[in-house]
Amino acid sequence: MAFTMTETHLAGAGRPRVQVLADRCAGCQECVIRCPVAALDMDAARWVAVAREDLCVGCRQCERTCPFSAIVVTGPVMAGSRATAETVHPEPLLADMGEVRRGFASWDEALAEAQRCLACPDPTCVRGCPAHNDIPGFIAAIGQRDLATAHEVLQRTSVLPDICARVCNQSAQCEGACTWSLAGEAPVAIGLLERFVTDRHTVPAPEPGEDAGMSVGVVGAGPGGIGAAWALVEAGAAVTVYERDPVPAGLLRWGIPDFTLPEAVAARPWRQLQEAGVEVRCGIDVDAAGIDTLLAEHDAVVVATGASIAVRLPFPGANLEGVVDATAFLKTARTAFSEEGGIQAWLAEMGLDGDAGADAAPHVLVLGAGNTAMDVARTARRLGLAATCVDWLDERFSLARPDELAEARQEGVRVRFARTVTRVEGAAGAGAEGRVRRALLARTRQQRADRLPSILDREPVEPLEVDLVVMAMGYRPDPVVAGALPGTPVRRQAQGVPEREWAASGVLANPASAFAFHNPVGTLALGREVGLRAAALPVRDRLWVVGDALVGPATVVEAMAQGRRAADALMAARPSRPGSGGSRRSRRALVCYASEGGNTAQVARAVGEELAGKGLSVRVLPVERVGPAELAAADLLVIGTWVKGYVVAKVGPAPEMQTWLGRLPRLGGVPVALFCTYGVHPRSTLGTMAAAVERQGARVVTTSALRHGGTKAAAIALARRAIAGARERAAAPAEPAAMS
Amino acid sequence: MAVDVEDRERAAKPDPLSVAVRLQPTRRAGLEERFALTDPEPGLEVTRNPHIARLVRNRKFQFLLIVPNQVVFWTVIFVGIAGTAIPGLNFGAAITWYVWFCLVFVMMVVVGRAWCAMCPFGGFAEWVQRRTFWGRTQKALGLGRKFPEPLARLGFLIPVASFLLLTWIEEFFNIAGPGNPADTSWMVVGIVSSALLFFLVFERRTFCRYVCPLTTLIGTVGSMGSVAGFRTKDREVCLSCRTKDCMRGGDDGYGCPWYTWPGSADSNLSCGLCSECFKSCPEGNVGLFLQRPLTSVVAPRRRRADVAWGIAVLWGLVVYQQFNATNVFASIDGWLNRNMLFPHYPNPVDYAGVIAAGTAVLAGIAWLFSRGFGRAEATPAGVAAIGTGTAGRDSFVDRTSRFRSFFVPLTYGLIPVVGADYFARQLPKFFKHATRVVPAVAHIAGFSSANSTLYGFHILSDGWIVVVQVGVIVAGTAAAAWTTWRIANRELVPVSRSAVGIRLASLGVVLACGATASVLYVLMHAAS
Repeated sequence: MAFTMTETHLAGAGRPRVQVLADRCAGCQECVIRCPVAALDMDAARWVAVAREDLCVGCRQCERTCPFSAIVVTGPVMAGSRATAETVHPEPLLADMGEVRRGFASWDEALAEAQRCLACPDPTCVRGCPAHNDIPGFIAAIGQRDLATAHEVLQRTSVLPDICARVCNQSAQCEGACTWSLAGEAPVAIGLLERFVTDRHTVPAPEPGEDAGMSVGVVGAGPGGIGAAWALVEAGAAVTVYERDPVPAGLLRWGIPDFTLPEAVAARPWRQLQEAGVEVRCGIDVDAAGIDTLLAEHDAVVVATGASIAVRLPFPGANLEGVVDATAFLKTARTAFSEEGGIQAWLAEMGLDGDAGADAAPHVLVLGAGNTAMDVARTARRLGLAATCVDWLDERFSLARPDELAEARQEGVRVRFARTVTRVEGAAGAGAEGRVRRALLARTRQQRADRLPSILDREPVEPLEVDLVVMAMGYRPDPVVAGALPGTPVRRQAQGVPEREWAASGVLANPASAFAFHNPVGTLALGREVGLRAAALPVRDRLWVVGDALVGPATVVEAMAQGRRAADALMAARPSRPGSGGSRRSRRALVCYASEGGNTAQVARAVGEELAGKGLSVRVLPVERVGPAELAAADLLVIGTWVKGYVVAKVGPAPEMQTWLGRLPRLGGVPVALFCTYGVHPRSTLGTMAAAVERQGARVVTTSALRHGGTKAAAIALARRAIAGARERAAAPAEPAAMS
Repeated sequence: MAVDVEDRERAAKPDPLSVAVRLQPTRRAGLEERFALTDPEPGLEVTRNPHIARLVRNRKFQFLLIVPNQVVFWTVIFVGIAGTAIPGLNFGAAITWYVWFCLVFVMMVVVGRAWCAMCPFGGFAEWVQRRTFWGRTQKALGLGRKFPEPLARLGFLIPVASFLLLTWIEEFFNIAGPGNPADTSWMVVGIVSSALLFFLVFERRTFCRYVCPLTTLIGTVGSMGSVAGFRTKDREVCLSCRTKDCMRGGDDGYGCPWYTWPGSADSNLSCGLCSECFKSCPEGNVGLFLQRPLTSVVAPRRRRADVAWGIAVLWGLVVYQQFNATNVFASIDGWLNRNMLFPHYPNPVDYAGVIAAGTAVLAGIAWLFSRGFGRAEATPAGVAAIGTGTAGRDSFVDRTSRFRSFFVPLTYGLIPVVGADYFARQLPKFFKHATRVVPAVAHIAGFSSANSTLYGFHILSDGWIVVVQVGVIVAGTAAAAWTTWRIANRELVPVSRSAVGIRLASLGVVLACGATASVLYVLMHAAS
């Protein structure tokens, strides 16, 4: 469905005005190729861009993408009105766990909203979506009233559209990165449109692929496990899932209350996966040693154990009776709603008075005001409790979903930002043991989103009478499991020069709109990309990690996307366990080099040709073009560099090679052959390179120093040693202890 | 199995981002015609030599160009203030006015913006802005603002105004005489401070592109130079490039500080030779090219009004700088100062008046040509191509009219004679006093005096200086005649009623300019 200018767009505000700074416009056409409405063209005689103002909708995509800031757009952003869906406010709240947010009620609403999508040529929303859903693609299908196609488009990248539509914080992801949002207006309601697709048409089940002869173990049945299992079963792998809880779905079931994510929706993926042949073994807690056991049983293992340990603050009084964490609260509260009289029993178990009446209801203090805290506080309200959330962040920089925050307040949750708990006291006063009775709150000040708040010590603390304190600052991965996963957690922060395609798309141009809480949506998305790419690389031989276990506390959609990415990488690598009868062989070689005068590049090509002659699929690339994606698609690495330095001083790998080695992700047991080309003496060049790749878990199988580029025979010998070395080590038993 | 060297599309599953990105097609209409005459020949790429390429790719390349000048100009500042008050013996004044200005002109004519690549003023400010001497940093110091669009629209005209202002100040305080050497120092301090201020407020080299007093002069006269600058090797690669690292900055280089894209550069006018595009291009598709002299004057199809007006004003200024050495001017200036109670030369009214008159004469001639030769039915160049209903058609630099159809090409053709005039104007100081630099250097260590042989040595006598000056003007006039003839054939003949008439009339303008300058040099008799 093409964007159509409507009466709403044209109402009152005039037309956008486009100023092309002809002095500076270089005619690079970055704006021309990215204008959603084809309002930009080239003046061939002057070779500068020209704009058709009658077509312009004021989205400012040209402003954001012009490398020289040669376009200025003024006037209205013709975004039109964003459609909204109904939100139910149960009255009374007690025990009502019915879903609060509803989707579009009719096709007309959905079509009107779909029409607002500009179908941007370089859609920033797709970069903002952690799974990179083809958002313009599925919205266009809605426009055609073709929900089967919409599902088909979504399923290329997501297996949880019904869940993501409900739990994603779209304002900081796809919707925050929508062109309209980047221009300061209300974005397309992508979440509601995604939900519309899944409300009206069941999410298609996975179609098991042809038997690939591989057995894969997946540890954890949360969203990361779902993403991995889904892609694996579709690729023909035999998948066994090991889950600690009695039922699969992890945090989706116990961590997100039914009023946000109904149980029927949360259970859908595992029902479909089990029907597709995925074996789920519940009640099995896999620890560090267990991972090694699974590696011996399966050809590969994907760890998706998530972050299930609630973060606890060590303030005075944190160990008093009545101070619990969010995990305990939410897990036990879920059972309270599912049984007759369960709420009263739960209140009694928690030591709370269930007969106090609405005015004197027990008071729950929830520490935090993020998504977990909102879940806890709103659940508390449904248990008949009064709830106050405190967060030391300023509300302007809150991490909560704006709609969730509004809903919580609507339901009577008191949310107080710029406060922190300095201590809690028991019934007998400060430091006493026994039941928690009082919390002392101090004020904080936060002036910028990227700065932590400071506590205002000089201002008086504020007492708050409480009956229960719930620490809901989020979760962290189990440190015991994390200890067996080298290289984790991966920090979701892009380093160095921003990705060029991302910078070119305009998504990194900030600030985003108030709708996105002025979050730097592009920078956040680029950080998430680090995690997504890391998921494709094994942390150890045959061991992949995804989700919160890989990157620390994150989101459902990220975990799912990482699971899929890891599964794709795993199926491309096709590892096999020792003694399984299959032999792992390096089928895809990547030869990467840093060359100055051309010698090193020549050797790299010669090595590549020999590897190709031996039946490998080979890529030969300069290191500048080798990123995580290229590394993930390699079973054998050959790395070569020229040698810099002054004969005896500062001799080592080329500067660009050093930079590249310094940014290497985890290589998880990949065999590596190293070579260098030198003029006088290579000194410790190869040793430096070996240390760098081994630090990331790679296995150096051979090295070679070639004077003046060496001979073709030397390159051939290096290639043959690399293949032989890779095979030898692959046949040997796994050495987890050495790797970790 | 062939080695897959360049394939980027081999992922087991297609990259979802690539699937979702559906860019509009790149426009290629008119491409060949637009750049046919301006693209340098592949054989003239100097960076084909691996040693040169390695040097230019080195991040310290520009730093090493800047450092010697940095040393000289901080010495100028220090010695100018702290050293002797005798201008000829003061290193600060001597190196600046006897040698530097002359060398800058030679570099312009031969290379182009060579001075910009090594300029210590912008170079110093850029070090501060980038927070590094040569590294590739990610976060700039300062506000990083964009130059206000209404001002940027004027292109190279603001620098012309700042050049006029600086010249008037220099004349008023007799800085370049040279007078008190400390004044030279304070002038340099002023330029460095201004540069620093602009670099800290605005992004990239906004100062160099839109404010620097010398940038229009170097840009226009430099277009005679034989260095085409950094250009694309294969335009198709640039057009299909989706990241434009040369404009936005890449791993190894910054985005072009001068707002120039090698993919569309058609002259060396705005190439600061900093080599950042060469470093940042991930495809190695940028090279440093030579070109035949005067190519950047003759070949570009796009003519800019700001450049044309800049040339006309610069012509007015150089005529003023000649005229002010005559007795007639002295009488006029003295009369004005007495009646306006202005303290001394140069009176701002006659300063502005002579420059305006010089400019107006050129503009007037162009107007007369447009009336006398212009075909009423002819569409001014560019109007048809731009079309109607599109933003950008009313840009000052590109706006077209019957007058501009004559004025703009005509002034471009005059670049060699204007450049020659500026160069010739510097020669007396060089030939009379350049050798003073040696005793001035020695004087820093206290070894020489005004009695030194080299202090009073003249390389050429006054008579020979006039001969050389006129010779330079003749050479410049000949070059201008050639450029004007070429430009007239391509751009003036199609809009004129008489092909022969416009050609001859244009040549007449060139000869008149050359004759005016020559006569004035004879009248000046080597006055500096």
